[in-house]
Amino acid sequence: MTHKWFALAVVLVAQLVASPAQASQEENRLMAVFLGRFASYIELPDRASKHFVITLIDENPFGSLLDDLYAGKVIGGKPVVIRYATKVEDVGQSDMLFITLVNPRSRQEAIDYGARNSILTISTATGFAERGGIIQLDFVQQHTRIKINHAAAVKSNIRIGAPLLSLASVIRGDAQ
Amino acid sequence: MKTIAFAFTSMLLATSGVAQEKSLQQANDYYQKPLDELFSIETPVKAQVGSRTGAREALDSEVPIDVITAAQLESSGFTELSKALMKLIPGFNSPRPTGHDGTDHVPPFTLRGLNPDQVLVLVNGKRLHQSSLLNVNISVGRGTSGVDINTIPLRSIERIEVLRDGAAAQYGSDAIAGIINIILKGYGHDSLASVSYGRTTQGDGAVRQADVFYSLPLKNDGFINLTAEGRDRGRTNRAGPDSRLANAINHLIGETDAQDGQFAVNAEVPVDALIFYAHGLLDRRASSAGALYRLPTDVRNNPVLYPNGFLPMIEPKITDYSLGAGVRGVSADNVRWDLSLTHGSNDYHFYVSNTHNDSLGNSSPTSFDSGATAYTQSILNLDLVKKIGDLNLAGGAEIRHENYQISRGELASYVLGSASTIAGAQGFPGFMPENEVDASRGNKAMYVDARYDVSRALSVEGAARYENYSDFGSTVDKKMALAYRPHDDVLLRASASTGFRAPSLSQAYYTSTVSTLNSTDATFRQAGTFAVNHPVSVALGSQALRPEKSKHQTVGVVYQPTSDFSVSVDYFSADIADRIMLTGNIIDTVSPQVKAILKQYGVQSARYFTNAIATETQGLDIRLNYKHSFENHSRVKVVASYHRDNTAISAVYPLASILGNQTATAVLNDTTQSFIETAQPADGYKLWTQFEAGAWRSTLNLNRVGSYYYFNGSSFGAKLTTDLDVALQLSKTVEVALGGNNIFNVLPDKFPDSANLFVSGSGIIQYPPISPFGYNGAFYYVRLKVAL
Repeated sequence: MTHKWFALAVVLVAQLVASPAQASQEENRLMAVFLGRFASYIELPDRASKHFVITLIDENPFGSLLDDLYAGKVIGGKPVVIRYATKVEDVGQSDMLFITLVNPRSRQEAIDYGARNSILTISTATGFAERGGIIQLDFVQQHTRIKINHAAAVKSNIRIGAPLLSLASVIRGDAQ
Repeated sequence: MKTIAFAFTSMLLATSGVAQEKSLQQANDYYQKPLDELFSIETPVKAQVGSRTGAREALDSEVPIDVITAAQLESSGFTELSKALMKLIPGFNSPRPTGHDGTDHVPPFTLRGLNPDQVLVLVNGKRLHQSSLLNVNISVGRGTSGVDINTIPLRSIERIEVLRDGAAAQYGSDAIAGIINIILKGYGHDSLASVSYGRTTQGDGAVRQADVFYSLPLKNDGFINLTAEGRDRGRTNRAGPDSRLANAINHLIGETDAQDGQFAVNAEVPVDALIFYAHGLLDRRASSAGALYRLPTDVRNNPVLYPNGFLPMIEPKITDYSLGAGVRGVSADNVRWDLSLTHGSNDYHFYVSNTHNDSLGNSSPTSFDSGATAYTQSILNLDLVKKIGDLNLAGGAEIRHENYQISRGELASYVLGSASTIAGAQGFPGFMPENEVDASRGNKAMYVDARYDVSRALSVEGAARYENYSDFGSTVDKKMALAYRPHDDVLLRASASTGFRAPSLSQAYYTSTVSTLNSTDATFRQAGTFAVNHPVSVALGSQALRPEKSKHQTVGVVYQPTSDFSVSVDYFSADIADRIMLTGNIIDTVSPQVKAILKQYGVQSARYFTNAIATETQGLDIRLNYKHSFENHSRVKVVASYHRDNTAISAVYPLASILGNQTATAVLNDTTQSFIETAQPADGYKLWTQFEAGAWRSTLNLNRVGSYYYFNGSSFGAKLTTDLDVALQLSKTVEVALGGNNIFNVLPDKFPDSANLFVSGSGIIQYPPISPFGYNGAFYYVRLKVAL
């Protein structure tokens, strides 16, 4: 009986320390879904990679949700791989880069890296699209809005489908 | 017992895995939806208040928070914020005082049955200044200066966060009953204009209102948002007949006649890696209300000037503004910093008309400038936030300067002439030169606030704040809070904290001397309200005011099985010591010694503020939120809530021994006790339901306020009021709405019939001025809104 309780207590503590993501994080859930859904409206330059790589740089607000959601999913005929990076040098070759960096300079470096390597960059940071990021996600009045820097996408040889553009506020001028 | 505990533990472990799957399943369901449907999903409201470490979903907070959206405010049908919040926030009370001099024009509001000055109001997270008006009459909020939230145009507001917990350890003084954080519209809002018109079914109280909200987008998601509003609210009158004058309706008992011109600005300008921001509010109000009617035969009447008697009119002009500006950024080592300067001012200028100064005889003016009270507040604030792994660390410092002034009225408004012994303007005598005050104080504060995510299921928050005031010294307040999610659908939360409220400058320094008619012997007495450090007060035993000190506990549970449904239950308690109150009138019959003191200063009675009592408040809040989208794209939202609180006086501090047998009773009598314990409803529930289908949107709001008790044993029963708002989208840019507040014309119980001429069910004041939903009856309106 004592062993049974001890085992349960150990499991409970482990549960406490490594519990799953909170269910009520609706914005995070939507963002996680949007990453993959956006990808289906995007045409990236041909790459040799056998996987569709989504890289998250800096803080991970999703817990295990990205890994769980995209396990077994296919984008553009390629199985999805989720990677996590803390600095730009670790991003490597990716198809999509979700940027949570709070430091503006670091964020700009990530945007520039994405532009140089034809990576679809996405973030919720204020002014992200106008600073050269490709898709900016905003939550305004409890709804999702997107702003797309079409010029930045073109410059990175990324084509964005009309259905996605029709739902977005589009920047068509010069990209940074 | 062991078996039950074992079973419970096993159940938690088993259900956790199920919840993970449910969360993932919901994400997978979203993944299958058409893209445009994903954009129509409504996300939960977020709140900044309650933690210095950043915004999070309100239902995930360690402390209970309500969030009221702009759409909810609009659907309330009210154009004044205090009335709208009364309909939307359980435990929020804002009666419509009448016959209470200055208070009629700035109705106080309360939260959880406590005092108006025990609620901290923030705009965009920055402290908003209080009104300079000190409520000295017999009303809810007697002896306090609260914030005038009706100076804020509704159209400028994005959401309102209401923290139902003590938070002085994070925000400083006043956050005892809770915090109301008003977030102005920011990035991404559309420009629009609206006009509305409404009136009561009795044909009075017409409200004409127009507003414009204009948003100018700037580079990098910057914006300048401007809001202008004009509001003209006609008076209501529910006065009963005056049996002394052939049952004439010669009083004005109802809401004031008020015109407000309002302006708001909210702006953010990104420059490189920095964001410069500013917000400002301006309100200019002209208001008018009646005092008590002076009969033709009244000794205070001059039959030459007013052969039929007269009703003095109190007509203040109130100017209120605030301006905050700052800059925020992120340092190289990822420290988010925010430096701001906020300045606020309230100028309450008293004017009276249709009156006279009896002592000036037939040559008396009939309108007067009775002087003014003014309050300013300036705050320099620095906030820092850093995330280190699972530790969210915040800290900051604040320097605040306050100033309070009383300015004399014009000479004729207070002078004692030679025609009679009745000095000063009838209705509201002017402030005298000896009443003038120019008092300042400063305070410095430092705080730390740390939230540690022990795991994704458990977070712990601790905060401490040190304050040093130039007048009363230092305080240190602490707070601990934790949120534990034993299951994905369930959040358990608890907090414990200490708090304080600094004595307001108006409580410490307000001074006024008036002639009052003694109804028993028809003689006039000079009655004074004196600053705590005034020689009269000191001679009568006053002591420097100490801050009110509080202890808070909150325990609650949130159950949210889906993103469309949640229910929360929170219990709270707040023990407050050293509550500051006005003494009763200390009269010259108390003792020869008191008589000598009063005589020395030319008055027959005096009163001052003192730390008088301790109270214990307990209460319960229940919330239920539900929303559902139907396949035909129609939607329904329901917010149901229940609130109960009970405040009991736990200690009465005796006054100075010089007051003899008045030491215990000079502060607390039936009247003042009722305003602490029973004059606000003990409970209430609200049921807000909105249904949208196609171009139609209808909102039904049921409000029940519990019973409450006035002094002299008057009790008033619980009432249920019903509001309805129906809006039709005529085109992409035009919406028209028709609605009614209190559509079934429910009125509060009348006072019991009595021989009292004024306060009686058949007298002049028939309805309780403390009625939470007023006494106007039904009010209908139309509203036209145009997107620009």
